[in-house]
Amino acid sequence: MTTASRQATIRFPYKRSLGPVMGAFMTALTEQRFLGIRSGDRVICPPREWDPDTAADLSADDLVEVGPAGTVESWTWVAAPGAAHPLDRPFAFALIRLDGADTTLLHAVDAGAIDVMATGMRVAPRWKAERTGHITDVDAFVPGETPEGGGGAGAEEPVTMMEYDAAITYTLPITPNEARDAEWVAQGRFLGLQCPVCGRTYLGSRGYCPVDAVELGAEHEVELPQRGTITNFTIVTPVQYPGQTETDPFPRVHVLLDEHDVVLGYQNLIEVPVEEVRVGLRVQAMWDTTGDAAELEGWIPTGEADVEDPDLVNRIC
Amino acid sequence: MAARTDDDIAIIGWSQSPMVRATNKTETQMLLEVITGAVEHTGITRAELDFTCAGSCDYVAGQAFSFVQNIDAIGAWPPKRDSHVEMDGAWALYEAWVRLLMGDVDVALATGSGRSSTADPGTIYPMEMDPYYLAPLGVDAMTFAGLQAQALVERGAVTERQMAEIAARTRRDAKDNPFAQVSGDFDVDVLLAEDYVRSPLRRHDLPPITDGASAVVIARGDKARELCERPVWITGFAHYAEIHYPGLRDLTKAESVTLAGKAAGLDEAPIQVAELQTAFTHEEPLVASALGLGPDVEINPSGGPLAGNPIMSTGLVRIIEAAARIRDGGTHRALAHSTSGPCLQQNLVCVLEGDER
Ligand SMILES: [Zn+2]
Repeated sequence: MTTASRQATIRFPYKRSLGPVMGAFMTALTEQRFLGIRSGDRVICPPREWDPDTAADLSADDLVEVGPAGTVESWTWVAAPGAAHPLDRPFAFALIRLDGADTTLLHAVDAGAIDVMATGMRVAPRWKAERTGHITDVDAFVPGETPEGGGGAGAEEPVTMMEYDAAITYTLPITPNEARDAEWVAQGRFLGLQCPVCGRTYLGSRGYCPVDAVELGAEHEVELPQRGTITNFTIVTPVQYPGQTETDPFPRVHVLLDEHDVVLGYQNLIEVPVEEVRVGLRVQAMWDTTGDAAELEGWIPTGEADVEDPDLVNRIC
Repeated sequence: MAARTDDDIAIIGWSQSPMVRATNKTETQMLLEVITGAVEHTGITRAELDFTCAGSCDYVAGQAFSFVQNIDAIGAWPPKRDSHVEMDGAWALYEAWVRLLMGDVDVALATGSGRSSTADPGTIYPMEMDPYYLAPLGVDAMTFAGLQAQALVERGAVTERQMAEIAARTRRDAKDNPFAQVSGDFDVDVLLAEDYVRSPLRRHDLPPITDGASAVVIARGDKARELCERPVWITGFAHYAEIHYPGLRDLTKAESVTLAGKAAGLDEAPIQVAELQTAFTHEEPLVASALGLGPDVEINPSGGPLAGNPIMSTGLVRIIEAAARIRDGGTHRALAHSTSGPCLQQNLVCVLEGDER
């Protein structure tokens, strides 16, 4: 069965503070050097702020230089690299014990072919020409004893922050209710679904009554009216951020529809000055029907007298 | 065998969804169905649930606070005592069990749910790893598994042929599991002729990508007996975690598995069945030996995670399968295992027992 779907990409543009130990490690990467940290009689690389066994505080004073070459302790061949991987051709991920360290660093080995890889093999870093103080300043390790690449100077100031900009693209199926709801909206109509147990009505995109945990479907359809009453509102004073197109203060209102107990939240109210927006105002839907599919522009006053009900403001959903 | 008291807690009902490559349901709808299934299996209504705890993951769901809308599946009116763990549902059950130990409420529900079909798992998994040293390299679950498998192969703890035999055995066993996603008869020599995905792992060594959900109802002693003719008693429940970064661990060992097993009282009596969350073939002998399981213990008769791996629910399904062997099969004592983190970083063991019959 094929299903309609929509795609959405979520970006995670993190900036992270590094602290004294990882900051020193990242700074050293810009200088084409590796640092480990002494804890008791062993050296841990990549360094951590605490001993992993005892949780004892480790001091940046105990950082020691290790590597640059090292020995592969385990590895796995990545025949078809993914978009998030450091190399776009087949490579190995490996656990590498840098010379002078007692623990291993996980990184990529650009070996060319799986036959080249072996536990116990010697590898050395291939440095990037531009280094920012990031684990990917090492482009990859390469077989042998001799570091490659690099050049230029290290960071002028100690590195204290790192960026990690990841993205995940989701493909989410559109449920039958969501699809039918979109069809109704395209016709300038509001679809509702009425719960067969409690009688509450919900917007047509919902899949279930959350009170009774009952599935809702086409057999529960009702047409919702185009008129209602404002139960609550806020005036938004826009601040500029990417995607913000508003420049003047504007209202967002909750509309309780007539006949059915359904509140449409965060609706656009048009043709009403912000100082006149109020609870109890009677409104009706206004659709833009100039395109192939109708779009809800917002709500305009009907001209009827306000509803006087002090409980209205309590209706938020 | 110690007599059961009111402080003993039992599994009294459960439900799991079919394990599928991609569902067209929302996560909430999947949960709605398994919660309905679990309360009907128990013979109660949602209103009789005193406490609920859900296991799910925002990165898998693709939405911040995704568990909030999942509450819709519980029927949370009048309001319920509810909690959530960003862990497999097995840990949600652990929290529900701890909650019942407090003694003031009698019946609890735990769920696990996830739709791994919605994005490339290779882009989701790194987000949950060490953000300084691991995540920026895009190190995914298959890579961690490959590194651990290679270490085990070189230590002589397992061979690629044994791994293929585990894949063939579990998927053959899965033919009897109506919920399984991958099942059938596979020829080990044919499997071994395939290319590596992450050496030494081939496609058959990996779990499928699965959408699914599960739900379990537990109750305190007297209430469990009142509601259920054959309660499955939780006689031990424990979890332990090791250091996260794999370069700081001996990947040929799984010490936290051993500790969790001991803390759950695994040694107190023999078990007949073990349902292990070993999603990669090489993990089965490692976990089995860390638990000290002998050749007489039947491992993953359901097919295990290699037959269906609904991330965030896979561990809770192990508990359901182990409980089902006790209630509906001839098993007296069984264990279920769940794991989280790279290279079996954190491990949970739940020991289950039926009444003497
Ligand atoms: Zn209802």
